[in-house]
Amino acid sequence: MTWSRESLERAEAILQRYPEKRSAVMALLYVAMKEDGYLSDAGMAIVADLTGLTAAQVQSVATFYVMYKTEPKGRYLISVCTSISCFLMGSDELLHAIEDEAGIPAGEADDTIGVEHAECVGACGGAPACLINYELVEGLTPDKGRELVSWLRKALPDVINADEVQALFGGRTSFDWAIKEENGAVGPYPAFPVLGTAAENTSALEPGRG
Amino acid sequence: MSEQVTITLDGVECLVDPGQMLIAAAEQAGTHIPRFCWHPRLKEVGMCRQCFVEVEGPRGVMMVPSCTQPVADGMVVHTKTPAVKKAQEGILEFLLINHPLDCPICDKGGECPLQDQTLSHGPGESRFVEEKRHYVKPIPVSDLVLLDRERCILCARCVRFADEISGDPLIEFADRGNETQVTTFPDQPFSSYFSGNTVQICPVGALTATAYRFRARPWDLREAASVNPGTTAGDSVTIQASRDELIRVLGVDNDATNHGWLDDRSRFGFQWVTSPDRLRRPLVRGADGTFHAASWGEAVATVAEQLRGVIDDHGPGAVAAIGGARGTNEDAYTLARFMRSVIGSPHLDARLDDALGSRFLATLAGRGRIGDLEKARTILLWGPDLKEEHPTLYLRVRRAAQELGATLIVVHPRATGLDDRATHRFTYVPGSGWDTLSALMAGEGEFAAARAALGEGPVVTIVDQTGLVEDPLLAEAVAAFTRDLPGAGVLPLARRANTYGALDMGVAPDLLPGRVPTSGAAIEAWGDADLSEGLDTRGILEAAVAGRVKALLLVGADPLRDVPDADLARRAVEGADFVVAIDCFLTDSSSVADVILPAAGFGEKEGTVTNLEGRVQKVNALVPPPGQARADWSILDDISTRLGRPMGLQSALAISREISAVAPAYRGVTWFLLDWKERDGVVVPTDSGEQPLQYVPVAPADPTPTKSPRGATFALHLSRTLYDDAVLTRQAPALAGLAGGGFAGLNPADVKRIRADQAVTVEGHRLPVIVDPSLAPGTIHVPFNQPGGPLFAAGAVVRVEAVEAEALDA
Amino acid sequence: MTELRVLTARMVEHPTDSHTLERYLATGGYEGARASLTRTRDDLVGLVKESGLIGRGGAGFSAGMKWSFMAPARPSYLVVNGDESEPGTFKDRQLLERDPHQLIDGMIIAAVANEAHHAFVYIRGEYPKPARRLQQAVVEAYTAGYLGPGIFGSDYDLELTVHLGAGAYICGEETALLNSLEGRRGEPRLKPPYFPAAKGLYMLPTIVNNVETISNLPHILTRGVDWFKGLAHGEDTGTFMTSISGHVNKPGNYELPHGLTWRELIFDVAGGIRGGNTLKAWIPGGASAPWFVPDRHLDLEITKNVTDANGSMLGSGAVIVMDDTTDMVAAAERLVRFYAEESCGQCTPCREGTTWLDMILRRILDGAGRAEDKDLLLDVSDNISVGLAWPPRQTTICPLGPSAVSPIMGLVEYFPDEIAAHLATSPLSGAGGAR
Ligand SMILES: Cc1cc2nc3c(=O)[nH]c(=O)nc-3n(C[C@H](O)[C@H](O)[C@H](O)COP(=O)(O)O)c2cc1C
Ligand code: SF4
Ligand code: FES
Repeated sequence: MTWSRESLERAEAILQRYPEKRSAVMALLYVAMKEDGYLSDAGMAIVADLTGLTAAQVQSVATFYVMYKTEPKGRYLISVCTSISCFLMGSDELLHAIEDEAGIPAGEADDTIGVEHAECVGACGGAPACLINYELVEGLTPDKGRELVSWLRKALPDVINADEVQALFGGRTSFDWAIKEENGAVGPYPAFPVLGTAAENTSALEPGRG
Repeated sequence: MSEQVTITLDGVECLVDPGQMLIAAAEQAGTHIPRFCWHPRLKEVGMCRQCFVEVEGPRGVMMVPSCTQPVADGMVVHTKTPAVKKAQEGILEFLLINHPLDCPICDKGGECPLQDQTLSHGPGESRFVEEKRHYVKPIPVSDLVLLDRERCILCARCVRFADEISGDPLIEFADRGNETQVTTFPDQPFSSYFSGNTVQICPVGALTATAYRFRARPWDLREAASVNPGTTAGDSVTIQASRDELIRVLGVDNDATNHGWLDDRSRFGFQWVTSPDRLRRPLVRGADGTFHAASWGEAVATVAEQLRGVIDDHGPGAVAAIGGARGTNEDAYTLARFMRSVIGSPHLDARLDDALGSRFLATLAGRGRIGDLEKARTILLWGPDLKEEHPTLYLRVRRAAQELGATLIVVHPRATGLDDRATHRFTYVPGSGWDTLSALMAGEGEFAAARAALGEGPVVTIVDQTGLVEDPLLAEAVAAFTRDLPGAGVLPLARRANTYGALDMGVAPDLLPGRVPTSGAAIEAWGDADLSEGLDTRGILEAAVAGRVKALLLVGADPLRDVPDADLARRAVEGADFVVAIDCFLTDSSSVADVILPAAGFGEKEGTVTNLEGRVQKVNALVPPPGQARADWSILDDISTRLGRPMGLQSALAISREISAVAPAYRGVTWFLLDWKERDGVVVPTDSGEQPLQYVPVAPADPTPTKSPRGATFALHLSRTLYDDAVLTRQAPALAGLAGGGFAGLNPADVKRIRADQAVTVEGHRLPVIVDPSLAPGTIHVPFNQPGGPLFAAGAVVRVEAVEAEALDA
Repeated sequence: MTELRVLTARMVEHPTDSHTLERYLATGGYEGARASLTRTRDDLVGLVKESGLIGRGGAGFSAGMKWSFMAPARPSYLVVNGDESEPGTFKDRQLLERDPHQLIDGMIIAAVANEAHHAFVYIRGEYPKPARRLQQAVVEAYTAGYLGPGIFGSDYDLELTVHLGAGAYICGEETALLNSLEGRRGEPRLKPPYFPAAKGLYMLPTIVNNVETISNLPHILTRGVDWFKGLAHGEDTGTFMTSISGHVNKPGNYELPHGLTWRELIFDVAGGIRGGNTLKAWIPGGASAPWFVPDRHLDLEITKNVTDANGSMLGSGAVIVMDDTTDMVAAAERLVRFYAEESCGQCTPCREGTTWLDMILRRILDGAGRAEDKDLLLDVSDNISVGLAWPPRQTTICPLGPSAVSPIMGLVEYFPDEIAAHLATSPLSGAGGAR
């Protein structure tokens, strides 16, 4: 069991960014998720090798953080914020609508979609909000939530781009989203170029699609 | 220790040591503050929050966890106020809401701090009406330890032990918050040599030892203080018995030695004591060549008669003794007196041809102490892999390097357990250690930094042969070099727990009791005796093969399994006219003897033992020996009577008095002292004693030239492992099966060169190959005495050949 | 009510390119960083101390003072806290996304002042977009020679690493953050002895400051301490960024002058309560702050001292507004649940206590409450936060545990009738059981 050459090179570069190897664990765990689509035992073992830790130590770190998923969560992980501000603005109804439309109770996933409740995602001014593969959509309604699910199922976008999904399904935002961006997420882990997990969305801002 | 400080504890002024946490200071002053996570040998984490006290400060009274509050002069502390009580009860209630109520079936029941706390301070009825956390229970985390996560209170003692102390962080927390749990990685068990410690320090019954589960209840146990018979470090232990059966060994915190820790072999190895295979009656080989059970009278008469015959026909020098390193000092002293005065032979040795010089081991000038490691700036370890052979000393060295910042230099033919903490590591092909030593001394090339570190004292050197067949003079040369370094202390290592005691008692060809050189003044108590220099174990075996030694006395020794040159041992023992073995088991060696005399073992006899520093400690009897087994000294005393030269020894206590009279280094060391005043033992000689011999090691002028291996000839690195096929390990059910098995380790280049992908023969014995890049090319590493592994004529160089693929299939 | 734009000026004036180096330079960017290179550590620390800049991450500690405490050991590190996870808070996200160079500029100043040659920004994992924006700006700054070896042609080297978290609120707590940055579980460390300025990242002296705190520095350097103090109202200098959410008409981030009242903030700045509803309560400083209610607190000034004196805090600057349609037991449960889910789990009272509190609230909401539940809530709270005092006298290692007590206190103190109403529906409460 090993990683692709690209990921190993990526890992090498990530290790260079920190004064001590162990500090790279978190970033490497994301690389591991990108390799397998989720965080597998094999992935943790490789991270352990790369950082000189035991696999038990890596597992201990990984399971502390909720974004490292040790089980597959589908291609699109929908994290609905249900913390106080979103709760006040109807997040529970939004979550139920999404669960219902997807046919997936929070915490579970099929091959395509995973649904979960999340704690505050920092979008309280645009409540209720959710993340799709950690790309934000603000100002949702239960109906828009349903549309979002069916769009994901039908369009199967390669890249989740926040501007695009916000344009399609979002409403009020926490602040002005005037700066446009092409980058987006390719799986249920954050899209960050340093990790090699971001991709340009070629269909960005083509609302007609799907 | 700097000046003590004064604190006011619940209204009483107390003097306590500075630099400790309040919880420890209170303990010193006699006040026990409840705690779960705090442990004196682990870093404080303040996690359980059970240890709250109130401290008066400039900003009023503050409630603080006493385990993270450093003590300061003038501190006013309250440990029993209503506020403290409320906080402690609150925490206890929190800990109990998810703790099962299964005390009646829990191993910890009766010795559980959580149970005790609850009974004395706990809330009556639980206010928690919800479901408790549930986990599958219990799960094995290793071969020896089980984990019940429902009972776990998440104090992190086990996790911290593995990380901070034993350096194998394989048991860790997973998940977080209310779901936090202790776990291991799938398929990577907590296979630490030290896993049993976590069972001992777990404050609840979450971690249990498979060897002890459901065996006894604490209130049924009797206990006694003793010393670990599994290492030479003199680790303090408590032994516990239920209904006259030894049932558990616990580490005891001795500042000078083990800090409370034990390796698993030491902790669980005691099980051999209760083995059904223990010898219970003397066995005498009859005319038909088979053993029959005999009375002591018959057995002792047979032995005396045979020995008398050998002495009459060939002189006393035809009798020799091997062993004595597994018993007490009292046993060893008796053996020395028996051999030199009753028999009149100087041929006796407690070492089994796998050790440094006896004078070097017992009387080295500038010998260090284990405690020196606490202050060491630099530690040079040129010897065996401590993790395998001296596990509790390994923990002390690890601590020095990892926690106390000492520079650690490891020189060994391959990777060792301490490499992750070593600042400098050097490997060499066995046989070429001389070159490595000269390069280190000169600080050449890659040795420059290490040489510079050796200039920074205090320097502690730990020396021994790195493998069983290495020239022992190399270790002496290392010591000769390092003893002149700044603040130097040298710890020479040996195998088998009481080797140092036995040498001190004169079970050596060149030493008399009390570190006196042979040919010293006559020993009055002994009457006529041969006080000249005799043969060591190798000499004895060779003499037996040559027919000069006719009678062999084996005292708790199994040369066929212990002597590196197993071939020589076999020829010697089988070739001797008469062999008598004093032993606990039928071993490879004792089973070819003519008479076997059943010996009392660990926990079955009282006496003293001496550790690698020369520290003398007391061991106690807790259980009776099985059947008719007896202490070595009393067996030897009987034989002496039968031989017409009675030693007249009455008891181990009486022998101990004779030792302090006869042995200058042991003068003033009494059982009374050790039982009542010096529970940590005393390093001899004390102020009342003296050490007539001070051995100063010198480097040999022209060491044996290095034979560089080539072709099919390899330099052998023959090493001991913690678990092997030794009888005492085999007889402990918890440990049986943990030995790794025989193999041949080779550098990858050699594997390619001789095309030995799977198996090789070493001196004709087949072994599976393990690729070991830490070995230098030209080295072959074979672990000694493994199940299924061969015992062969191990020499410095061996012939190695690849096994052909077809032969493998066969 | 007018806003006072300092940190947010550029993004408002240049909404589509405020994140670029080009725009940043065109609007006076990196002058502060350049200036810092010509000054001594003492000088810079003194300047920031004098400015009265206080930390905007929640604890409200003087930035200059913190810097002055830094132990002499080297290397030292600078770590910017961009974990922003306190419910209600989203100001750092805007600063990161829309003016990343302002932060880098400030980081250079803080690094130089604290002799750090490696700086980190710890951004919560759920903020990939802010992290991308910042990373893009970091790349620009490296390319321009503002980061890396010999910044701005000086002999000062500075590396900057953007680090992504992975979903753990507790990593906002500075020592948990450092553990996380070391590749460990994000468990807070004991203070004492592990104050970051003494024993921080890799046990070396480390300055941890919030994104907003650091973003102020370029302005203090270029416009001067007097200007910054000139913005003050009483002891609070500079501006005040607040995130308003909940039942207001105009939620969002606002950068404001100090000294407004809550009435002005909620009704003028944030446009009042939605749908003409009535204000019931608000949380003045992020989810962990004790609640305020209109009849007692509406006309108080929004300053650190006044808020502290009235038993709450300005914390992270987040204001969560609840109108009269809100079920306060449900709101409290949602807040307590957050702390129970985000507890790191190392200390007993937080791990067990917050979960237990949530279980009690949930059973009250589910119509299975018991008569003794109100007292039980208070007593369990008391075992987490002794005497239920403010600021809390915690039995925990860090303030997260006691944060779960704030909503309980608000609920019991201001809305006991709502608890009673829920209990009345429970057959277990002895209140008759409506079902
Ligand atoms: C539970 C907890 C969560 C915190 N979360 C954050 C956070 O998300 N962002 C932040 O800047 N500070 C947070 N803090 C405060 C930090 O510990 C620290 O005080 C701050 O980062 C220092 O920066 P400042 O002085 O610039 O405010 C939190 C503190 C606690 C106790
Ligand atoms: S209070 Fe909670 S979050 Fe803070 S250290 Fe304790 S368990 Fe962790
Ligand atoms: S013993 Fe002090 S917190 Fe656990």
